[in-house]
Amino acid sequence: MPSAIVTTELSKTYDVKVRDPGIKGALAALARPRYRQVHAVDSVTFAIERGEAVAFLGPNGAGKTTTLKMLTGLLFPSSGRAQVAGCDPWTGGNAFRQRIAFVLGNKQQLLWDLPPEETFRLNRAIYGVSAADYRERRAELVELLVLGDLVDKPARQLSLGERMKCELAAALLHQPEVLFLDEPTLGLDLEAQQTIRTFLGEYRQRHDATVLLTSHYMADVTALASRVLIINRGRLLFDGELSELVARIAPIKRIELVLSEPVPRARLESYGRVAHFAPPSATIEVPRETATAASARLLADLAVADLSIQDPPIEEVIRIAFGEGAQDEEDNATAEMLVRADVRRAPP
Amino acid sequence: MTSIRRTATVLRAFWQLNWLEELQYRGNFIASLLGTVFWLLMAILTAALYFRHTSRLGGWEFWDVVVLLGIFNALAGVVEAVLRPGIGHLPADVRSGALDLVLVRPVDAQFYVSFRRLDVWRFADVVLGLALAGYAFVQTGRPIGAWELITFVVTFAVAIAVVYAIWVALMSLAFWFVAVENMAALFDALFEAARNPVSAYPGALRFLFVYLIPIAWTTTIPASALTGRLRPALALWALAVGIAAIGASRLLWRVALKRYTSAGG
Amino acid sequence: MSSGTTRGAVAAFRDQYAELMRSAFLIDLQYRASIAIWLIWGVTEPIISLGIWWSIAAAGAVDGFTREAFAQYFFGVALVNQATLSWDAWNIDRWIREGEMNYRLTRPIAPIHEAIADNVAYKGPTATIILSAWIIAAAFWPAVRIPFEPVHWALAIVAIVLAAAIRFLNGYATGLLAFWTTRATALVELQFGISLFLSGRIAPLSLLPPRVAEVAGYLWFPYVLSFPVQVLTGTITTTGQYVRGFAGQVIWLAIWLMLYLLVWSRGRRHYGAVGG
Repeated sequence: MPSAIVTTELSKTYDVKVRDPGIKGALAALARPRYRQVHAVDSVTFAIERGEAVAFLGPNGAGKTTTLKMLTGLLFPSSGRAQVAGCDPWTGGNAFRQRIAFVLGNKQQLLWDLPPEETFRLNRAIYGVSAADYRERRAELVELLVLGDLVDKPARQLSLGERMKCELAAALLHQPEVLFLDEPTLGLDLEAQQTIRTFLGEYRQRHDATVLLTSHYMADVTALASRVLIINRGRLLFDGELSELVARIAPIKRIELVLSEPVPRARLESYGRVAHFAPPSATIEVPRETATAASARLLADLAVADLSIQDPPIEEVIRIAFGEGAQDEEDNATAEMLVRADVRRAPP
Repeated sequence: MTSIRRTATVLRAFWQLNWLEELQYRGNFIASLLGTVFWLLMAILTAALYFRHTSRLGGWEFWDVVVLLGIFNALAGVVEAVLRPGIGHLPADVRSGALDLVLVRPVDAQFYVSFRRLDVWRFADVVLGLALAGYAFVQTGRPIGAWELITFVVTFAVAIAVVYAIWVALMSLAFWFVAVENMAALFDALFEAARNPVSAYPGALRFLFVYLIPIAWTTTIPASALTGRLRPALALWALAVGIAAIGASRLLWRVALKRYTSAGG
Repeated sequence: MSSGTTRGAVAAFRDQYAELMRSAFLIDLQYRASIAIWLIWGVTEPIISLGIWWSIAAAGAVDGFTREAFAQYFFGVALVNQATLSWDAWNIDRWIREGEMNYRLTRPIAPIHEAIADNVAYKGPTATIILSAWIIAAAFWPAVRIPFEPVHWALAIVAIVLAAAIRFLNGYATGLLAFWTTRATALVELQFGISLFLSGRIAPLSLLPPRVAEVAGYLWFPYVLSFPVQVLTGTITTTGQYVRGFAGQVIWLAIWLMLYLLVWSRGRRHYGAVGG
C-alpha cells in the first residue's frame, strides 16, 4: 500500500526585506532594498504510512505550520515534492481535498451563530456524504466525542473545549484518509485535552486514518503518537519513536518552587541542577525517577510556598537532545515576525 | 486635583495615547485623506449636477450649497474622529463585557467611553471641511461680519452637540437590543439628509428633518448663519436646542446605565 | 458519492448550493434586526435624491423627467440597488487577514460558491420586502405606479439578475486583490463612488453632461443599475434599446467573469507562494 504522506526534500524559502530601524533605515530600504532568505522549511524528508499517528513537534516558528500548509495545498514548495493520499497537494484539486481534513486549533470552522448540527449538515453536502453514511458516522462521532446535546446549541455559546470537539466531528464526517491537526489542544483545559487525545486514538484504530498533528505540548505526543518528528529552524532534527527520543535525552523532570523564605542558591544545588534562580522562585532539574522523592525532601527541608513538577518544555528537550541554544529560538521568533510582516514573492 | 483639572489631564492622556497608537499606521493617514478628498469631490459634483438643471436649490445658490457641504464634511470629520470610535463602540463593549472595566474606574463613564478612542487622522477632515466652507464662502461674495461669525461658531458647536446626542440615543439602544451590531448605520442613513439645505426637500421630508429627526439643525443652521440667512430668533432656538441636546444625552446615558447595572449586564 | 457520472456531479452541486443557502438564510434570520437597519440605510439615499429632484422638478419637467417619472425612477433604484449590493470584498479581506481563508481553500468547493449562496439568500428576501413596500406605496401614491405586464416584468427580472451577477463578480474580483494589497476594499469604495454618477444612482443618466454619459456607456456601470431600472419602469420602448441593453449586460458579465477567473488563479498562486 502506498504511503499516506511522503515528502522529499520539501523546502519553503521566503525572501524577507531587511531594514535597519529608524527613518534613515526606512529611506535606505526604499532606495536599495536588501533581502535575506529565510528557510522556513529546509529539505524535510519523511514518509508516513497509512494509519500512523505522528506528532510534529517544534518551538514556535520552527516550520511546523508551514509544512502542514504545504501538505494541505495552501502553500506550494520552493523545492522538493510531497504526496498526500496519493495526490500532489497543490495540483490535486477537489479530489485531493475530499481525502483530507485540516483542523486548526485557534481558527474555528463551525458556523458561529448556528448550532454545530448545521455545520454538520453543510459539510455533508460539501463533501457529498450519502444519507446512510452520514447517519452512521454522525452517530459514531457524537458517541465517541460525548457531544450529547452540544450539537444543538449555537456554537458561540459553547466553551472552547466543547467547540473543539464539535470541530473534530464536523471535520470527520467525510472520513478523510489523512487528518491534519494544527495545535488541536491549544488553550484547552486538561479534561478537554484528554478527551480529544483519547478520541483521536480510538478513531484512528477504527478507521485506519492517518493523523499528523503539530503541537508544542509533550503530553500530546505521549498520549497520542508513538512516532515523533522534531523540527527546528526549518530542519528535521529527529524522526523516530518516542521511546528513542526519551532515551536520547537525559530523562529529567523539572521541579518549580516558590519559596516563602530566602534560600541561598548553593543550598538548592544539593538537590539537583538549578536551571533557574530568581527568588522567590526557582527551578531544579532532577532525574525522572527521583522527582517525587526529591520533591518530598524539598517540602520537608525548606519553607516552600508552592511546588509543581513539570516535564521540560519542548525547547529544552531540543536544547538537551541536539545542543541548540536558546538564542536560536529568538532568531526563530524574529524570522517569524519578519515573515509575517513583509514577505516578497518567493522564487518558485 | 479638582474635577476639571482631572478631566483635562485624562483628556490629554487620551489624546496622546491615540496619537501613539495611530502613528504606527502612517499609511492610514494618506489613505483616509485621499478618501475624504474623493468623497468631497463627489459631493461637489453632485451639487454641480443639481445646479445644471436649476439655478436655486431651496432658495440656495451653488456656492451657498458648497458652504453647507464643507460644514457637512467638518461635522462628518468630528463623527469619524470622535463619535464613531468612541460612543459608537458602546454596543461592542456591552456585548464583550469591556464596559464593566470602564465602570469600575474613577472617571465618569460617559466621558471615558466618549473620548477614550479617537481616530486622530480624521481631524484632518474637519480642517478640510472648514477650509472648503471658507473657500466657498469667499466665492459667494457675501459680506462677512461679526454677527455671522459668532452665530456660525455657536451654531456649529450646537450641531456637534446635536450629533452627539443622536449618537448617544442610538447607542444607548444597545443596552436594550444587544444583538444589533449596526446601530451606527442608522445614523449614517439619516445624516445623508444633511448634505442638502433643508429647504430643498419637499414639505413632508422637511417636517421630518426639522422636528422629528433634527438633521436640519446640524448643517443647515450653521450654513445659514455663515451665509447671513439666520434670523436672530432662530439663532436663539438653536442655542436652546444645543443645551437641550446635551441635557438629553446625559439623561439618556443615565437611564441606559441604570438598566445595564441593575439587569446584571 | 457517484463522482463518475455528470448527473451525479450536478446533483452534488445542487445539494451543496442548497445547504450553503440554507446556512446563509438561517444566519441572516438571526441577524434580522441588523438587516432591517441595513434596509433602511439602503433606501434612504434614493429617497433623499428623489426629494431633491422632486423639488427641482416643481417648476416643470427636467429634460423630460416629470416628478412622477423621478418617483418611479428612484423607487426602481431602491429595488435594483437592494438586489445588486456588493459586500464580498470586505469578507474576503477579513478572511485573508484573520486566517479564515485557509479552511475555505482546503474544502472541495471554491469559496466563491459560498459567496453566491450568501448573496442569493440575502437578496431574495430583502428585495421582496422592498418590492412589497413599493406595492403598498403604489396603492396610496399614484405617482409610483409602473406598468404591469408579465412579459415586461419577466424582462425586468432578467435584467436585474444579470445586473446582480455583473456587480457580484465585479465586487468579488476586486475584493480578491486582497491577496496582494490591504487596500482592496478601498478600490471597491472608489468604484462605488464613481458609480454614483455613472450608473445613474444620483440622477438618471440622461441628466448627466453628455460627455460623462458617453464615458459611462463604455463601462459596465449603466448595466448594473440604469438599464434594469429603465426596463422596470417601462422607459425603454424600442426593441433596439432592449437589444443593446441586454447585449451590454451579457458582454460585461463575460468580461467580469473572465477577470474573476484570472484574478482567482493568480491570487491563489500568490497566496501559495507567500502564504497569508
